[in-house]
Amino acid sequence: MLNEDRIILMTHMASYESGEGKRNVKIGNYFRSDYIAVQILKSVICSSIAFVIVFALYVFYNFETFMQGLYQMDLIAFAKNVLIYYGVTVVGYGIVTYVISTYRYAKAKSSLKLYYHNLKKLNALYEQQ
Amino acid sequence: MRLSVSATRKGKIISMTELLEIREKIKLFYSRFETFILPLAKFLLAFVVLSTLNSGMSYMGQLDNVALVLIVALTCSFLPTGAIVFFGMLFSLLHMYALSVEVALAGLCMYLLMFLLFFRFSLKDSLVVVLTPLLFALHIPYVVPIAVGLVCGPASIISVGCGVAVHYLLQAVTDNAATISTMSDDADAAMAKLRMMIDAMIGNREMMVMIAAFSITILTVYLIRRLSIDYAWTIAMVSGALIDIVILLIGDLIYDINTSLVSALLGSLLALAAAKVIEFFRFCVDYSRTEKVQFEDDEYYYYVKAVPKMSVSMSTKTVKKINTQHTRNGAGRGAGSGYQARNPQAQRSGAGRRVTTERTGDRRGYGTARSTVQDDRRRSRSVTIGNTDQNDGADGSEDFEELY
Repeated sequence: MLNEDRIILMTHMASYESGEGKRNVKIGNYFRSDYIAVQILKSVICSSIAFVIVFALYVFYNFETFMQGLYQMDLIAFAKNVLIYYGVTVVGYGIVTYVISTYRYAKAKSSLKLYYHNLKKLNALYEQQ
Repeated sequence: MRLSVSATRKGKIISMTELLEIREKIKLFYSRFETFILPLAKFLLAFVVLSTLNSGMSYMGQLDNVALVLIVALTCSFLPTGAIVFFGMLFSLLHMYALSVEVALAGLCMYLLMFLLFFRFSLKDSLVVVLTPLLFALHIPYVVPIAVGLVCGPASIISVGCGVAVHYLLQAVTDNAATISTMSDDADAAMAKLRMMIDAMIGNREMMVMIAAFSITILTVYLIRRLSIDYAWTIAMVSGALIDIVILLIGDLIYDINTSLVSALLGSLLALAAAKVIEFFRFCVDYSRTEKVQFEDDEYYYYVKAVPKMSVSMSTKTVKKINTQHTRNGAGRGAGSGYQARNPQAQRSGAGRRVTTERTGDRRGYGTARSTVQDDRRRSRSVTIGNTDQNDGADGSEDFEELY
């Protein structure tokens, strides 16, 4: 027999599963530390590529200056500077990623908690019948 | 009693209740035909975006072809919304490539940076990245921060910022196109072209002011609309528009970016109108019926403010009951049959099959406009084909008090 409460609950859950829930379930499959680590790793890769692009544009932009001063330039000091900038970029972006990932994980977990609560409620409705 | 006058058409006043009815009809229409409306909307958006891009740049003749645009738009209609962003960027890059390889390289670098650093965190707002340059091209960019602040969250600042950057990138290309096309193809000229594009982006004060103004506006609108104050959405949109104008003026004073005050004011007024439409569909509440309750449990005191939504029920006919037919005195089917709803008393004495018509208006409807709601209810009817032996009052007697 059709149970209106059950149908409403199932509709809400199905809507959640197909929308926001899909991403949350994916996040919920990870442990917190694993999820944040994966996100930070992705950030390191992305920020490294981004840094290379920006550095290449910088070199192209100042190409003539580089060519003229290449032999007078302290290459080790220059490389040191580039590495410092790279480190600051990657660490800064990593910290931003850490904050965002932590927030997203907490949000997804609380959302999933509600979803699992609804699952239990649905189970109870089945048992009642 | 008319609650508020919202619009006039052919001298007839359209009341709030009628507007709410129209909203419900639109919602019903959308939910019924969502399968067709969504792809159609994507198709139209993709078509408008690509056509605007082609008309603005048009350096690659092959792309400026209606058939091609139609095919791509059609493809976008059944792909995720991100496809519109992808094809938009692809088209713009191809136009840049036709103008100059170096320009395309600068554009590609910028798109890559946006994807690598920003889109990772706000992929679902990719549509904003397309809509922002589009609205800039249509000369109504001030709608963006207010609408985004009302509908999305503060994370959308990133998408709007990227959208503004894309607009200024395309503008830099079109502004420098004449110079670039006259330059030769040797190595020095290539460096000069690249430098020109980088300068146009990094040294663009107008872009920076615009990004700052839009970001602060989004944040302001978002924070105010979430406050627990009456008319929070209206206050948010007005404050957002004012802050946007003020920041643009300050930016103009400091950096001399030649912002047109008239266009900013007109654009902001248009943005307010658009925001009002959004509010009507997303957050239509009746503050005059706000309820404040206070209670406690073992751990907390609760101060709850409940603001009812404005809503009216749609006019529908519902068959509530079809009961088995009984005749009390065998007076024949015709004796008490027929359309007796106008006289509820007659229903008891009548025998045989009868039809009862009742209203199905939403009683919660529109508290302060009771008479208006009742007018609506009169338009709505449900049909009961009932047993004449049954006590009508037992089955929702309140409904029967309002029979025809």
